[in-house]
Amino acid sequence: MNNRLFVAACLIFSGLLSGCASEGPPRDINDPTNSLVFGYIDMDEAPRGVNTATFLQVAPPSDTPYWETDVNKGLFFQAHLPPGSYQLTSLSGSNTIYDFPRQGNETSVRIAKPGIYFVGSYKYKAVKTGLFEAPKFSIERVKTPTEADLLKQILGNEAIGKSAWGGKIRARLAQLKR
Amino acid sequence: MTGNLKLATAFVLLGGMLTSCVLPQPRAELGNLSELRSDEVVIVGRVDLVPKLAEGEQKLEALGTGDAVNKVYLLTNEHYRVFEQEPRMSDYEGYIPAPLGKNFFVRSSAKPFYILGGQLRLTARGDDMSSAYFPGGMKVSVKPGDKAVYIGAIQYYRDEFFEVSRIVIVDDYDRANAEFKRTYGAKYSLRKALVTPVK
Repeated sequence: MNNRLFVAACLIFSGLLSGCASEGPPRDINDPTNSLVFGYIDMDEAPRGVNTATFLQVAPPSDTPYWETDVNKGLFFQAHLPPGSYQLTSLSGSNTIYDFPRQGNETSVRIAKPGIYFVGSYKYKAVKTGLFEAPKFSIERVKTPTEADLLKQILGNEAIGKSAWGGKIRARLAQLKR
Repeated sequence: MTGNLKLATAFVLLGGMLTSCVLPQPRAELGNLSELRSDEVVIVGRVDLVPKLAEGEQKLEALGTGDAVNKVYLLTNEHYRVFEQEPRMSDYEGYIPAPLGKNFFVRSSAKPFYILGGQLRLTARGDDMSSAYFPGGMKVSVKPGDKAVYIGAIQYYRDEFFEVSRIVIVDDYDRANAEFKRTYGAKYSLRKALVTPVK
């Protein structure tokens, strides 16, 4: 697959925002079936910033398929995902939603067994479009921050560090060092 | 960037746009062959998803989307082209609403045409709208004098993300012909002319 994930963006008024995303079902942070899915987006070149990332659960089908999480300095992670297939479906901020396509989405991840899954680091790039076309953007995969860089940041989150994830993240970091 | 990726990128739908718009007329189902005009033909075929659409994969709750349940809309045109942008409303003119796993029987102008792609509405509830798109690049050969043409079963092999890994054209003529005879009578013949890839 090309390393540039082209996606289309649309700006939607905030009234539409509420219908597009909802919380996933509540789960205990220490549930042994949880997976941690995380990534990074550099939005420096975007016209507007984002504060929320939403994962879509595509399988198994669910009536509550959206799993939201904060975006903090580009880092986003969800530590409550049950086994299934997911993809980043949108990044959103004030009055803005950057929609990702269902197909050709590089952030797609299939979780067969609980674990730690890195969907990649990306950088926002604007795409030139015609005057009357919907605005579009691409996100390019970038090498940094690395999986280890991001895991260290996640570990710094007090709730995560004190949960069952603390040990698992440290183990993964040790594995990455080898 | 791959063609598939281009096609897949297409699909930004400004909130509410699709439900609020009415698609152009599809190729109509045909009740009786005697209704056919001399310059028309009935096209018979089928679209399958492999694996089949699972319960809950398609969530169409918005008004006006009921017709899209369990259907792939095949976008067609007499002129071949590749979509590099999302299909526009006008691209749906004369589309074939193909019920998944079932033969369709639609009336069509008696001219060769191309299948340019397919669309499956996945979600339409509130402002949540999404579709999956399928490759086209197939030619339907209609000859002068044809009254009914069987184009085969187009099987799209896909994963849960609707990435298409394989397209197979299956010759299921016997079953389609039996249904054709039951529907329209034994005196009419259904010519087999499976879709061919555009070179």
